[in-house]
Amino acid sequence: MKKKLMLMLAFVLLAGMMFTGCGKEEAGSSASAEAAYPSGNLDFIVPGGAGGGWDLTMRTTAKVLADTGLVENAMPITNKSGAGGGVALSYLQTINGDDKTVVVYSPPLLLINLNGSTEFSYKDTTPLARLIADYGAFVVTQDSEYKSINDVMEALKADPKSVKIGGNSSAGSMDHIQFLMMAKAAGVANLDKIDYISFQDGGATAQILGGHVDLLSTGLGDVEALVASGDLRVLAHTADHRVGEGVLAEIPTCIEEGINGTFVNWRGIFGPPGMPEYAVKYWSETLGKMVETPEWDEACTKNGWDKLYLNSDDFASFLDEVNGEYEGVLKDIGMID
Amino acid sequence: MIEILQNLMGGFVIALQPYHLLLVAFGGILGTIVGMLPGLGPATGVAVLIPITFTMGPTAAMITMTGIYYGAMFGGSRSSILINTPGDGAALAATFDGYPMAMKGKAEAALAISAIASFIGGTIAAVLLVLLATPVSRFALKFGPAEYFLLMVAALSMTASMSKGNQLKGFISLIIGLMIATIGIDAQSGIKRFTFGVLELQTGIDFLIVIIGIYALGEVFKSYSSIADGTKKAQKEFGKIWISKEDWKRSKWPILRSAPLGFIIGALPGAGGTMASLMSYNNEKQLSKHPEEFGEGAIEGLAAPESANNAASVGALIPMLTLGIPGSGTTAVMMGALLMLGIQPGPLLFTQHPDIAWPLIASMFIGNIILAIVNIPLAGLLVRVLAIPAKVLYPIVLGLSFVGVYAIAGSIVDFYLLVIFGLAGFLMKKVNVPTAPMILAVIVGNTMEQSFRQAIRISDGDLGIFAGSTLALSLIAITVISILFPIVKDKMMEKKAENAPETV
Repeated sequence: MKKKLMLMLAFVLLAGMMFTGCGKEEAGSSASAEAAYPSGNLDFIVPGGAGGGWDLTMRTTAKVLADTGLVENAMPITNKSGAGGGVALSYLQTINGDDKTVVVYSPPLLLINLNGSTEFSYKDTTPLARLIADYGAFVVTQDSEYKSINDVMEALKADPKSVKIGGNSSAGSMDHIQFLMMAKAAGVANLDKIDYISFQDGGATAQILGGHVDLLSTGLGDVEALVASGDLRVLAHTADHRVGEGVLAEIPTCIEEGINGTFVNWRGIFGPPGMPEYAVKYWSETLGKMVETPEWDEACTKNGWDKLYLNSDDFASFLDEVNGEYEGVLKDIGMID
Repeated sequence: MIEILQNLMGGFVIALQPYHLLLVAFGGILGTIVGMLPGLGPATGVAVLIPITFTMGPTAAMITMTGIYYGAMFGGSRSSILINTPGDGAALAATFDGYPMAMKGKAEAALAISAIASFIGGTIAAVLLVLLATPVSRFALKFGPAEYFLLMVAALSMTASMSKGNQLKGFISLIIGLMIATIGIDAQSGIKRFTFGVLELQTGIDFLIVIIGIYALGEVFKSYSSIADGTKKAQKEFGKIWISKEDWKRSKWPILRSAPLGFIIGALPGAGGTMASLMSYNNEKQLSKHPEEFGEGAIEGLAAPESANNAASVGALIPMLTLGIPGSGTTAVMMGALLMLGIQPGPLLFTQHPDIAWPLIASMFIGNIILAIVNIPLAGLLVRVLAIPAKVLYPIVLGLSFVGVYAIAGSIVDFYLLVIFGLAGFLMKKVNVPTAPMILAVIVGNTMEQSFRQAIRISDGDLGIFAGSTLALSLIAITVISILFPIVKDKMMEKKAENAPETV
């Protein structure tokens, strides 16, 4: 009997561990809430799984906010993954007007709406602040016949089937779109004829290393180690300026190579739709203070992020602008009408 | 060689520090526990740990997280053996002979051999990792979409042909599994398939839900009648958790053969422990002198997959450590944690951070020993689950199943799916349709379909790509042999029987 009890105790302990960090306070917003905002636990949501890019951004943000004392409330993090962020987006709709929940997003927030995965869009959220950016990188093996991004574009102009592009997101999502945006800027016609091959679970990097695809479209931060070791070569990236240090700083931008296009893999913090004005102001300002701290600088260097803060209003207009760009490309390849 | 040994010794010096020893034990035991619970796999265990790793150094964090990973391989089969419910995919094959052994009153031997096989498999794989990490990682890169497709075909055809005498039902089960695997957004076209407007279905159905539904809930439904009339007797007497000389004689070669197989399959990004353990099970069944005992409680049928899945969990670290590519769901989470600690795994990890890489490898040797020591007495405790009357045990199983499924994605939709698969599992058992081909099809189906289409897109529609490399041709040969071998063997046995009827 004692042993059975011990076993049950073990289960209870484990269940306890699982659920710490999942507790959510009821959102009680009244007039007095405004003065004392924020009070009680905050709810930080990651729309994807643990260990991913969103997760990394959210956990780092929470850590810096706590370490610098900018936010003294508890900031438990919940992973609400599914449908490329669509599940968390649906959840936000159910807490319209809540002032304690924030969530991290990046370009897929716009793409999952444009490609029809979800009926909700970025307009059904409250943009609070843009924090950081990574950029698209176009990668080949060391012995590839393509020596510059223009070699690739010329080959595609001659025959759109001649270069097989691999990436880790599904068709019509980020890795696909960022390459097509550059191809479009380079004057490649027939964007819909270009073969994009989607791999799961980060498998595309192994595929380019093994020579099974010709070019890998991915995030600049994702290939740093393999570029440093000399296994892979980045032809160009999609920022409008040189990024990072060491091997990364040696990589040219597409603009330098004569292709007039940029793609920013931005990451920002959002609230639910109808978030009260005082909460929007609080987060826009607090995050603005956060990005000025040495702790944040250190985190950005460590993760290879480019600091790219925008406040709530500017972030909203930025989103309007890029949404139009993404839509244009998706129309070009016939994924939407 | 000398250099490797020196590095490894240096690693042991760090890994043997009391703090790190404590973490190895903690990670391993936590892994054993999450592994045992249906739905909670190593990936969840590692994810739970992420906030804690923030406060540790990278070496300590890695040691703990890998401890969870192979600890879960030790634990996963406990529930397979005792309640016919695999703790995670990699423990699926342990139900085939582990549960029948427990039903025959041999649970003690089953639990013991699974710990022993896990220990040996994990240790052999750790040795292989030390010696062969770089060549194996380069070999894994030869697997393009065409090779992946052929590998999946090999695994599926082995499993389907395994259900001998019942092949038609085996294939029905397989096809249902493949159909389930098509649910969700198709990565190659971005189009939604069979989601019926349900947002949660867009990412597909997690195979863990299928496993828990079919096994745990299916088992509960099936036993419902026997609970009422009390025909299912609880075991009262328990022996020592150990194996006989005869058991060891039968298991020794399967364990030794399965470890390298598991190691290599594990090192292929995306293949993983489930496939490794199923392939080793099929291997042993085909090599066995008495294949008819497989599925009825053959100890080697439990020993082989247990060795293979532990070896696979070690192999899965290779793409991450040598290339910075996650080889499995669990290593993907680990990589995320490493990035948060400011470590970029990749080809330079061993030269830039030998203080992390080598202690980690050393800790795997130590962790395997600790887990073997912990798991034998733990099994003595766990085996008493069989003494719990069904009417108490099954409600607990039911509760754990729902908790486990909720832990996967925190989604209520998964509860409905769980119940649907539970009923499906019950019905399949009623009409004797084997469930293993369906489960494997759910696990590999999506990758198989995607690989096929990736290959076709790369070759501009030319099917020749599937015979375009030596590796591809070898995989085709393996598939053909795996289908023909049982048939040829049967014919030869028949002939033998005809020639010498008196000896039968």
